[in-house]
Amino acid sequence: MWTFIARRLLQSIVVLLGVTLISFIALQIGGDPTYLFVSERASQQEIEMVRHALGFDRPLYVQYLSYIGQVVRGDFGNSLSYRQPAMGLVLGALPATIELTVFALVFAMALAVPFGVFAALNRGTALDGGIITLAMFGQSVPNFWLGIMMILFFGLYLHWFPISGHVPFLQPLLQGDFVTAFKNLPRTLYYLVMPGIAVGFYSLSRNARLVRSSMLEVLNQDYVRTARSKGLTERAVVVHHALRNAWLPVITMVGLEFGFLLGGVVVIETVFSYPGLGRLVFNAVNQRDIPVVQSAVIVLAVIFVLLNLLVDLIYAKVDPRVKL
Amino acid sequence: MNKLGLLASVAASGLLLAMPAMAQPAADTIVVGLSADVTTFDPDNIASRDNANIARHIFGTLYTVSAEGKFEPSLAESLEVSEDGKTYTYTMKEGLTCHDGEPLTAEDVAYSFNRGKDPAGNFTGNTPGFIYSSIAFDKAEAVDDRHVKIMLGDKNLIAEGLLAEVYIHCKDSYEKMSPDQAATSPIGSGAYKLASWAKGSEVVLERVDPSAKAARIVWRIIPEASTRTAELIGGNVDLITNVAPDQLDAINASKVAKVQAIQGTRRMYVGFNMGEQFKTQPGGDAIQDPKVRRAMQYAIDVPAICKQLLNFECERATGLVNPPNDNKALKPYPYDPEMAEKLLDEAGWPRKDGGERFSIKLQGPRGRYLNDQNVILAIAQYLGDIGINVEPELMEWSSVYVPLIRERNAGPMFFLGTGGAKWSALYDMSDLSEVDAGTNYTRWSDPRWFDRWEDIKNAATEEDRRKIIDEMLTVFYEDGPWLLLYFQPDFYGVSNRIDFVARPDEEIFLHDVAVK
Repeated sequence: MWTFIARRLLQSIVVLLGVTLISFIALQIGGDPTYLFVSERASQQEIEMVRHALGFDRPLYVQYLSYIGQVVRGDFGNSLSYRQPAMGLVLGALPATIELTVFALVFAMALAVPFGVFAALNRGTALDGGIITLAMFGQSVPNFWLGIMMILFFGLYLHWFPISGHVPFLQPLLQGDFVTAFKNLPRTLYYLVMPGIAVGFYSLSRNARLVRSSMLEVLNQDYVRTARSKGLTERAVVVHHALRNAWLPVITMVGLEFGFLLGGVVVIETVFSYPGLGRLVFNAVNQRDIPVVQSAVIVLAVIFVLLNLLVDLIYAKVDPRVKL
Repeated sequence: MNKLGLLASVAASGLLLAMPAMAQPAADTIVVGLSADVTTFDPDNIASRDNANIARHIFGTLYTVSAEGKFEPSLAESLEVSEDGKTYTYTMKEGLTCHDGEPLTAEDVAYSFNRGKDPAGNFTGNTPGFIYSSIAFDKAEAVDDRHVKIMLGDKNLIAEGLLAEVYIHCKDSYEKMSPDQAATSPIGSGAYKLASWAKGSEVVLERVDPSAKAARIVWRIIPEASTRTAELIGGNVDLITNVAPDQLDAINASKVAKVQAIQGTRRMYVGFNMGEQFKTQPGGDAIQDPKVRRAMQYAIDVPAICKQLLNFECERATGLVNPPNDNKALKPYPYDPEMAEKLLDEAGWPRKDGGERFSIKLQGPRGRYLNDQNVILAIAQYLGDIGINVEPELMEWSSVYVPLIRERNAGPMFFLGTGGAKWSALYDMSDLSEVDAGTNYTRWSDPRWFDRWEDIKNAATEEDRRKIIDEMLTVFYEDGPWLLLYFQPDFYGVSNRIDFVARPDEEIFLHDVAVK
């Protein structure tokens, strides 16, 4: 197992180099970013001065290699617009996005499993039809529209939830300020309800259908029939025999889902004025703030690599047929 | 399952019971919803309008410019300009301090000016990037504790207004700061100090100057227009900027807020690029002729565009200068398609068999200005009605359109808005200070305009200068390089809690705004 982990971590270095190169090239294709950092009335001399100050007057390969050289020394560069360490900005915005993603994932999975199981157990009934319809709706509706509708209905008309904003929990927790963190927790969750549901609704729908089909497949297996013929209760058959095996594709999905949600928060963070990584990167891309985009890409790539590794390890643990 | 359900219900009930009421602003607090994020509080790196609006509360300036465009003393009590127009000597008020208690003297003012010019700082804000190059700033020197001299490389007629934009701070505190500290922990000289800044979320200012009305100002970053509107109607925010035209009715229909619409100072126009590379392009040859350009002026119903697409009653611009400093003798071009057709026929561009006179490309940004895409399409439609086949080409603003504009390669026709001001006609005209100016995006080169700058500089009296300005504006109106449109309106959503009055220059200054 340790060999497997070491090999995967080595592979991840190649992945990191690849993603930084691709994102660097993608940002450079957008053209010279200097104009975004000068006043609309700046003279040509001022423009040249700023171009030099930002290092954009060097050849592209020099810019990239110099950046990689910095990264190896642990320096991820300064944000061009904030003029502060880029990695600090990314790590500062990450906790809020982790909170949102985890909330959305828990919401999606906590409902997807029972919905999927109930739909499978009541196949062909009105309940099954209702769940399938809801899932279809959830997969069809854009999350930003859902977010805006929730703002209108639950925020503006009913005043149940805040329309926008964020109360930090992870950030004070990571800084060792446990009192503030736990004092904030109820409000953190309160502020997360609407954006969390808007982000997680698609996942809930997709996974409910996945659990349903996985469950239907398992319920038709011989060992389930055997379990029933042994006179076990339906509950014991479902929970101990069917669900245990139906879980396997879901476990794989959870890891991928986290990554998927992480990528899907950008629009929702904007709709709910949520100060997370998605919005930071969105602004950084618009501003051609290359150090911030690169730092975010590195952080997200590391998260993806670790998540995939974790999923593989868990899968090997729960499915004895898998050997690492 | 039942136990789990019960547990979830109890947890949810507990959570809702633990909730505070909605975050309504406190009685002495004004909450502003901004559309763009704030990136820095380093006085020499601030470039965006939203960023400057907050910084203006933290940092004092020598003079301020009123909403009507009048200069008013602020940290300085008076100004004396030397005979040759190259030295501005300010007398500072007595008893000034910075937020850390350090006395604010002429030496600090000189330091504030010189800091932005230091190449080691790599500063890219409005002060070093625009102001200093516009006025050829040389250096600043303290004469004594209360007098400071600002020296320019040459006489400059708009220096007074631009010098009023430079942020003042204290030398001792800033000399010790790292760039990171200067960006995040400003020590200003203004009416408010920075209390907290949650990046991407909100900036909180606390009152320092007892004469300021509100004790706290919270600036919340709310990029999505509909969310800003919802927060305003929900009573959680007192003032929002950049209200979308389609949300005006929703705000006005609410009982808690109203929209304030004001004609801004940003000049919207379609530029005719007369650069060499366009002379051989389709339509590029036609627009070289002033008569063709004039014909197009008659083809566009600008008030209708304002009303239908911007939800605003506007009067068409007569030039590049904001009222009240425009040429009062000039009347806006009327919508007269027959006159447009007549002029085009006379200019040698008759309709061909298919009814078309010539084709031309119209480039423009998507999502940069108020309803820009539809305005561009409407202009194309109006010109199509008189036989000009316009091909609109809409582009992404930052990566595609900005470089094209900055390199003066947009065209043959392009849609643009450039910032102006109320305090000087010359400020607005200085976009076209010389043929090769970076802001002469049309590469217009009419000597009847460009040769007059020397006359303006040498004018004996203000009346003589105004006469020359009016003559230049007449040339611009008749044969100029802009298809004249409108000054972009600004829409603010204002809650009934505050007595805010919108300014035309996009500046938000809340020093005198009270919570009712």
